[in-house]
Amino acid sequence: MSAPAALETEFRSLRAAAGEPAWLSEARESSFAAFAAQGLPTSKTEGWRHTPAERLIKPDFRPAGKPAARGGFGGRALCPITFHRVVVHNGRVLPGGEGSNLSGLPAGVRVQGLAEVLRDEPEALKHSLTRGFDKSGLPFAALAAALARDGVVVRVARHARLDKPLSVLLVSDDAGDGLPQAAHLRVLLLLDEGAAAEVVVESVGGGRAPFWTNLLTQVSLGEGAALKHYRLQRESAAGRQTAATLVEAGRCARYESHAFDFGGALTRTDLRVRLAGDGADCALSGLALVRGDEIVDHHTVVEHAAVGGTTRQLYKAVLDEKSRFVFDGLVDVRPGAQKTDASVYNKNLLLSEDASVHTNPEFKILADDVSCKHGGAIGQMSPESLFYLRSRGVGEAEARRMLVYAFGSEMIERVGLEPLREALTAALHARMPEAAEEAA
Amino acid sequence: MAKNTVLKIDDLHAKVGDKPILKGLSLEVKAGEVHAIMGPNGSGKSTMSYVLAGRDGYEVTGGSVSYLGKDLLAMAPEERAREGVFLAFQYPVEIPGVSNKYFLKAAYNACAKHRGEPELDAGPFLKFVKEKAKMVEMDPAFLNRSVNEGFSGGEKKRNEILQMAVLEPKLALLDETDSGLDIDALKIVSNGINKLRCPERAVVLVTHYQRLLDYIVPDFVHVLSGGRIVKSGGKELALQLEKEGYGWIDAEKAAA
Repeated sequence: MSAPAALETEFRSLRAAAGEPAWLSEARESSFAAFAAQGLPTSKTEGWRHTPAERLIKPDFRPAGKPAARGGFGGRALCPITFHRVVVHNGRVLPGGEGSNLSGLPAGVRVQGLAEVLRDEPEALKHSLTRGFDKSGLPFAALAAALARDGVVVRVARHARLDKPLSVLLVSDDAGDGLPQAAHLRVLLLLDEGAAAEVVVESVGGGRAPFWTNLLTQVSLGEGAALKHYRLQRESAAGRQTAATLVEAGRCARYESHAFDFGGALTRTDLRVRLAGDGADCALSGLALVRGDEIVDHHTVVEHAAVGGTTRQLYKAVLDEKSRFVFDGLVDVRPGAQKTDASVYNKNLLLSEDASVHTNPEFKILADDVSCKHGGAIGQMSPESLFYLRSRGVGEAEARRMLVYAFGSEMIERVGLEPLREALTAALHARMPEAAEEAA
Repeated sequence: MAKNTVLKIDDLHAKVGDKPILKGLSLEVKAGEVHAIMGPNGSGKSTMSYVLAGRDGYEVTGGSVSYLGKDLLAMAPEERAREGVFLAFQYPVEIPGVSNKYFLKAAYNACAKHRGEPELDAGPFLKFVKEKAKMVEMDPAFLNRSVNEGFSGGEKKRNEILQMAVLEPKLALLDETDSGLDIDALKIVSNGINKLRCPERAVVLVTHYQRLLDYIVPDFVHVLSGGRIVKSGGKELALQLEKEGYGWIDAEKAAA
């Protein structure tokens, strides 16, 4: 394998231009080598059989440029404007006053653009950026590590708390020339011992041309730290996203993830959580509403590397038209990880005969005193339920909407932030499947 | 003044899959009347209920059903409900994720809109539905739970009667509403139905057992057998069926 020429050229020009510290250059080089060794995934690549990355992601998408217009971000986001906010527009973090609003962060909490930190105090990130991660099966994460010029860095000091949620808004719009674009971004969420934060990363796509967001997120949770990590995916019809999130959870730390996929031609999410300390805990939830030709793919790996870890995992998908949903959830219980308590479930509602689901919840268990449960289900809308609702006067379209909502709402109810829950409820209603609309 | 005919079933034939179930069923029900349809298992009682409510999978092959002078069979299930037809299910369906309150409000407002009456917002509706819940002796906490999810058999049937009280139908079809109820639940459910008896409303009780008719006294009793009504009479017919079973009906039929 080797890297496609366009990406090789981009990497070389980045390397030539940047006056970066040697350790960062080395990290970029080794990441690019790891990408080149794997190449772009094809339909024959393990883990990518059902997800046609090669058809939708082209190496010659050129680096994201200046969008034709700026502003109006509040109206485009689901996140309320009362949250702290960082806006990343076409791959660049916007300063305060141009969309970002970080005034009034509490003591012990720092939120900055990656480019800014690399310019002002790169040494502060040396540990995070040089710490290697297992890049096997993660070619795009390796590419992001090699190419990302900007992103968001959140640091929460020992026992500090973010007083209200942080909204990280990733906005993509067409450039003036309307050509396909790509943005490689890195997000670092670093919580020291006993720290707590809620972070909502929301992708909003506005353009008509393909826009590929390639996101690498690294989460580090110290002892007893707690992060609620929300991912709201609302790409445009031509939006593509590859996102890898790597989580390292210390003793008694808690990582909670909520992924909502409400749009985009292709969304591939890799979530790898390592419960490194005893008693660490993760809860991974997802809801995808997929329609048209869209493809949503969630690959999760939770490694139980210590005693008494807990995993609660449930992903749901509603599929209409010719859409596709892929779920691959592995829980890997390492030797010695006794008292592991883990469950992995995936439930799917198919509204169309042309839609397809590939589901694979799985365990690899190398300890003997564990409780592990998993299951996958694919079903259609119950004709009994539909008739019951209609027999009470509820119209067919409305009845279908109620049943789709009922299926999905369980995941929205898990969202602790009330304003966000309300916005998600409205978004769920607004993105009701076409099949329900047609029946009206 | 002559009573209004609410339901007129004329020589109705229907099949499920390839199997003919109803074979010439005729029945006329007027406003204010309570009719009991009794019959052995497999006689077509539930099929009749489902055909009248418009469930998929039941194909009408002959005859007609007129409801307040309109062709009932031409209407979609929701239209029938909005026009005032209500079926209390033998097996009410559980719908996780839809609250009882939301469901009742959606149903009520769909029917109100159809009649050109004002729809109710959440506040006034809640007040209205709580009154109705009291009538069927239902704890208002059930309004916040998912429709029928985890309800006991008695609670499900009570929930059916609550829906009926909210929708105030002109024709109520109660399909084996007594099945699976203990005596206390049976009394509460019967009590609720009796409170809903009125001169404008017609009620058709479908039941296997006479027991329900101790609590809801019918004006007419019909015996359904082999897909049609084979005998009609007053409430004393139910007592005779209770004493002698369905065997003598079949014998009479064979002799005829």
